[in-house]
Amino acid sequence: MTTDFVAETRRASVRSMVFRFQSLFGLVAVFVAAIVFSPSRDGELLFLTSDNLFNVVRAVSEIGIIAVGMTFVILIGGIDLSVGAMLGLAAVGSAVLLVENDFGLVPAVLVVLAVGLGFGLLQGVASAVFGIQAFIVTLAGLQIARGLARIWSGGQGVAIAYGEGPGEAPIAFSLLGERTFNGLVPIPALIFVVVAVLAVLFLRGTAFSRHVYAIGGNEKAARLSGVPVTRVKIVVFGICGLLAALAGIIHAGQLNQGSPNDGLGYELDAIAAVVVGGTSLAGGRGSVVGTVAGALLLGVLNNILALNSVDTNVQLLIKGLVIVVAAGLQRLRPS
Amino acid sequence: MDNGVASLVGLVRISKSYGGVRACREVDLTVRAGEVHALLGENGAGKSTLMRVLSGDLTDYTGTITVGDRPVRFHGPADAQRAGIAMIHQELDLVPGLSVAENIFLGREPRTRLRTLDRRAMLRETRTLLRRTGIDLDPRRQVGELRTGEQQLVSIAKALSLDAKVLIMDEPTSALSSAEVDRMFTVIAELRRAGAGIVYISHRMDEIGRIADRATVLRNGCVVAEFDARDMTADQAAEAMIGRPVRAMFTTHETADTGEQLLEVRDLVVPRSRPGRRDPAGISLTVRRGEIVGLAGLLGSGRTELLETLFGAGGRRRGSVIFKGRPVRPRGPRSAIRLGMVYMPEDRRISGLALDHSVLANTVLSVVDRIARLGVVSRRREAGAATRIVRDLSVKLASVRDPVSALSGGNQQKVVLGRMLLTEPDLLLLDEPTRGVDVGAKAEIYHLLGQAAQRGMGVLLASSELAELVGVCDRVIVLRGGRDVAELRTEQAGEADLLAASMGEVVPL
Ligand SMILES: Nc1ncnc2c1ncn2[C@@H]1O[C@H](COP(=O)(O)OP(=O)(O)OP(=O)(O)O)[C@@H](O)[C@H]1O
Ligand SMILES: [Mg+2]
Repeated sequence: MTTDFVAETRRASVRSMVFRFQSLFGLVAVFVAAIVFSPSRDGELLFLTSDNLFNVVRAVSEIGIIAVGMTFVILIGGIDLSVGAMLGLAAVGSAVLLVENDFGLVPAVLVVLAVGLGFGLLQGVASAVFGIQAFIVTLAGLQIARGLARIWSGGQGVAIAYGEGPGEAPIAFSLLGERTFNGLVPIPALIFVVVAVLAVLFLRGTAFSRHVYAIGGNEKAARLSGVPVTRVKIVVFGICGLLAALAGIIHAGQLNQGSPNDGLGYELDAIAAVVVGGTSLAGGRGSVVGTVAGALLLGVLNNILALNSVDTNVQLLIKGLVIVVAAGLQRLRPS
Repeated sequence: MDNGVASLVGLVRISKSYGGVRACREVDLTVRAGEVHALLGENGAGKSTLMRVLSGDLTDYTGTITVGDRPVRFHGPADAQRAGIAMIHQELDLVPGLSVAENIFLGREPRTRLRTLDRRAMLRETRTLLRRTGIDLDPRRQVGELRTGEQQLVSIAKALSLDAKVLIMDEPTSALSSAEVDRMFTVIAELRRAGAGIVYISHRMDEIGRIADRATVLRNGCVVAEFDARDMTADQAAEAMIGRPVRAMFTTHETADTGEQLLEVRDLVVPRSRPGRRDPAGISLTVRRGEIVGLAGLLGSGRTELLETLFGAGGRRRGSVIFKGRPVRPRGPRSAIRLGMVYMPEDRRISGLALDHSVLANTVLSVVDRIARLGVVSRRREAGAATRIVRDLSVKLASVRDPVSALSGGNQQKVVLGRMLLTEPDLLLLDEPTRGVDVGAKAEIYHLLGQAAQRGMGVLLASSELAELVGVCDRVIVLRGGRDVAELRTEQAGEADLLAASMGEVVPL
């Protein structure tokens, strides 16, 4: 009797699996299209060179890390518009602390991460405790974070020079722009993969994640079932802020500077990655696996358009269409 | 055209499928002028689906609809309304952000000569309408703030205002108490005299006997029986619905007069939190272990507010609550559950379940953090817990990974009950636990409550169905205007006594 039930359960999960990973199919489709349309040099497809493939992952790593945090927020039925500004604030913070305040690598990184976490937690409090809509709270948060970044940087980009002396950042920080494993894997891509894997495990197996999904599915029912709704929401915004700050640190390390205008519009790219990845903006449905696939899909698309030197305005058109099609496909999913 | 009475509308061989699910199969049905036609069937039998076809809400069906013997094809509810067919939907279709008056006149608002909204006329007409139907509601109140029963009254008033020739009422009274039902029945009788045809869907068998002229029974989407409702017994109807003899509705559990005191509420007062709510204004009661205590009362008597307050989901309160021998004051649902209380809200779709999440996720929600070790949930233990409770309550489903929305109403309710029981509570606070649940599932839920009591839990059960209170409870406490006004032992008192006490007539104790 039990085995019957287990078999039944397994069959049903195969069915739901197909839809759970539909964003992966989208990724595969775009990947195949990229191979087909790839220009080649010396008989080699440019798109498929390992160098290029890792570049795709590197290019999406910042947006990808942000999008992972965004997934949590969207799963509870919220939205976070402040992440791009938070990235700018974190990039500026890293540069200023390392260069002007002579912080060591670890203290600087920890302070910046703490700023991101704290900022996110505050937004969570405003939204969960005071009941202001997440859209409004984080729209305000966006302005505040940009303002803070301008003040902290003195309004200009802060360049990072490396060395041992005063006014110079530890060389280790420049590793963020480097590659590891025989110069193959870019460090930011590696960090993205680690963040994504941790998030996937976290969202699969923890009681906290069950609470996250329940809040997005029906907040009132979750509250009456004993889910600590307020606390979970605050923590989720904290996670999102923390990951945006991490992306900001990577950004500073890759570009060797921090500018208050960094990350302009990244929030929209992150939201696009989440939505293309199959997470419902209404909350309660979606996954980090989908988000990673969504980010990679958009990255591959960017890459192949750039390899073919498609006009940037046309690139925008195509990207817009892909987002609409991906969102439209989700309506086919059985409810 | 039998009996020489004109049929207003006819359904001929109507079939309708959702994906692979065949909800209606070749159903024939007529509605005659001046009759109340009851449509009966288990949860999921296809009653609502059939009526949504007739009211133009579902348009992809096969078969023919005739109006006055002419075949018609509706392309939306507006078409059907033009043909004189209106429907009160089971899942109420009101706009929560609008007022009562705005909802009633939605889409056909009265205009001034300048074509602007004529608010004054709208309020005036709404007041007249509500008075005519005997509904005591302020037309300016926001619908989202109303209790389920009050929302049902608004829907009924709205449907009546359409002056339809055929009025379809899909479980219009599931959250109404008998006094409100009586008033609705007076209005329905008037409509019938005026020559309207009414289709009436309800899981309350006593209502069918009182109001219906004919009854059609659906099972698995097919018509399985037709009755002259006036000489149909409740058992006959139930047997046709389920397809086999029904088991006894009410099983007696051993009354535990001797159980230790579990809950004692003394002079509970909730200062008026929101306008229009009748909050507890001085309620005292006790519940022993092993006892099922009922809460009776009219709409607005404060039953729901009392349960919410005890559970920590209501407003601030005065007065004392002693639970398991200690004074308690839960700060919210979470702390109430820790103390050993659980609560089933009256509207399971809005506050009870995440409908598109799996049965599994919904059942274990209250205990995932207990199942987890160091915050990590073992999938095996989680599925084990869900599977066990689902089987204990004999929930009918294909897989615990199916979404709750695929279950029938009665089984959805059992999922909520299962989630509550998994927390191993001492006290169950239930608000209308069998609202919209078919007779078979009702009997099963009553049986489960009896078992829970037998195992030493206490149950406080608010219901607007008097038969349920008398059949299930050991004692019933009657609330009126936020106070407890009477306490009746169900061995001695019957439905009539409960009704009298709810209405404010003197009851000899
Ligand atoms: N929107 C929908 N999508 C898919 N299936 C549906 C939908 N609505 C109803 N069904 C299915 O169609 C069948 C008939 O449902 P319907 O709501 O008509 O039953 P009902 O007799 O009104 O039940 P109840 O007494 O619970 O209201 C059920 O099997 C139900 O699961
Ligand atoms: Mg129905």
